[in-house]
Amino acid sequence: MSVLSRVMTWARVKSPWIIHFNTGACNACDIEIVAALTPRFDLERFGILLKGTPRHADVMVCSGSVSRQIEDRLRRIYEQMPEPKFVVAVGACACSGGVFQGCYNVRSGIDKVIPVSAYVPGCPPRPEAIIDGVVKLLGTLQAPPKPPIRTVGIAPQP
Amino acid sequence: MGVLVALYAILIFPGLAFLSTFGLVAEYVDRKLYARFQNRMGPPWFQPFADFVKLLGKETIIPAEANATVFKVLPAVAMAAVVTAMFYIPVWDNRSLLGFEGDLIVVIYLLTIPTLTFFLAGWASTSLYAAMGAVRSLTQLFAYEVPLYMALLAPALLARTWSLQTMARWYTEHPAWMLANLLGFLVAIVALQGKLEKVPFDIPEAETEIVGGTFTEYSGRLLAVFRMAIDMEMVVGAALLAAVFLPFGLGLHPVLVFVLFLAKVLFLVALAALLRALFARLRIEQMVDFCWRILMPAALLQLLLTVVLSGVAP
Repeated sequence: MSVLSRVMTWARVKSPWIIHFNTGACNACDIEIVAALTPRFDLERFGILLKGTPRHADVMVCSGSVSRQIEDRLRRIYEQMPEPKFVVAVGACACSGGVFQGCYNVRSGIDKVIPVSAYVPGCPPRPEAIIDGVVKLLGTLQAPPKPPIRTVGIAPQP
Repeated sequence: MGVLVALYAILIFPGLAFLSTFGLVAEYVDRKLYARFQNRMGPPWFQPFADFVKLLGKETIIPAEANATVFKVLPAVAMAAVVTAMFYIPVWDNRSLLGFEGDLIVVIYLLTIPTLTFFLAGWASTSLYAAMGAVRSLTQLFAYEVPLYMALLAPALLARTWSLQTMARWYTEHPAWMLANLLGFLVAIVALQGKLEKVPFDIPEAETEIVGGTFTEYSGRLLAVFRMAIDMEMVVGAALLAAVFLPFGLGLHPVLVFVLFLAKVLFLVALAALLRALFARLRIEQMVDFCWRILMPAALLQLLLTVVLSGVAP
């Protein structure tokens, strides 16, 4: 890699701005995402800022199992983001459809509609797991492209 | 030789290179202090620089319905106006680069241009949210500009000059008279928050209501230049306030004066961060109400005080 592209990759890794999009989730994942953005978890350490508009965002953090109603909107918001862009699927529904997998009214997973770079399973995943997922996604930017990673959420104790 | 010196002033010091570096440092100080006030770590020191480089490397999207030329030119206009304003502000001495009788008014006008470009940017984006942000930023302009100008007039009236360097010289000779402008200083700090569109006056870019406000449609390089212009405006606005309200220690060695200048600007940036951490966003009509009912009478009181005091001033 040339010096310029290395500086650019460094900047991309250090400054991911996110946009949060709910594709028909039950709001549990959304509450965890919002919790991860509070001062307690201090996402600004990693340069992460929440942006209101897709034009400013680098990473789309999606929750929900993509209902058929919202499918077009999800695709449109993804297309409104400038390149390079990444998608993180948060929660079991966003990863695979979860308990709604195979229902007539959902598409069962974000990756059926738009390309997903990282999956954070859990119902809902803890804020730590979401942060871990986003930071691991950024780690892959430095390395040569590999298949998407799957982070392991903190499993509830039986 | 003259051309080289002029180019050095425009491009390096106190022009583009110095202002952009200092702007990024000021943004870092602002964000770090804000984080510390919230009892968290905050961003690393290179964060504003990383944001800027990342935005430079991103795709730039221009809406099909927008006027592409206006859309592209506006960030550069904002930046040019702010850099030009810096040439009239004393930095390392009680002299400025291009000072003349009346430069205070020129600086005030130049610092209004970024706000007008925000309005035009929002309007040119042809997006509903951006237009809403544009209208709000113009509404806000009419509320904070008058108290800010009144507050800036008071020290000038006391020194009987419209020139920043003559003012600096006058206050160097009579440093105690600086204290007469304390009320105006407070008014100007609050009004500056409105000019920089920061909390509690960040109504034009209220992300919870109108997505990204004026900059909703801006992305990539154009957004990077706009953000840089705002950082520079923060520095130049703080430098103007420092020159007008805190004109002490200007007779020292130039290096010391320069260090003092940096310290004054960073002190004002820290005050802004404190205000940002203390207050929540107001609604637009609350903001206009506050500016006309509280800031404006305070600024008028300062002017009255100044008129009375100028009878006994040397």
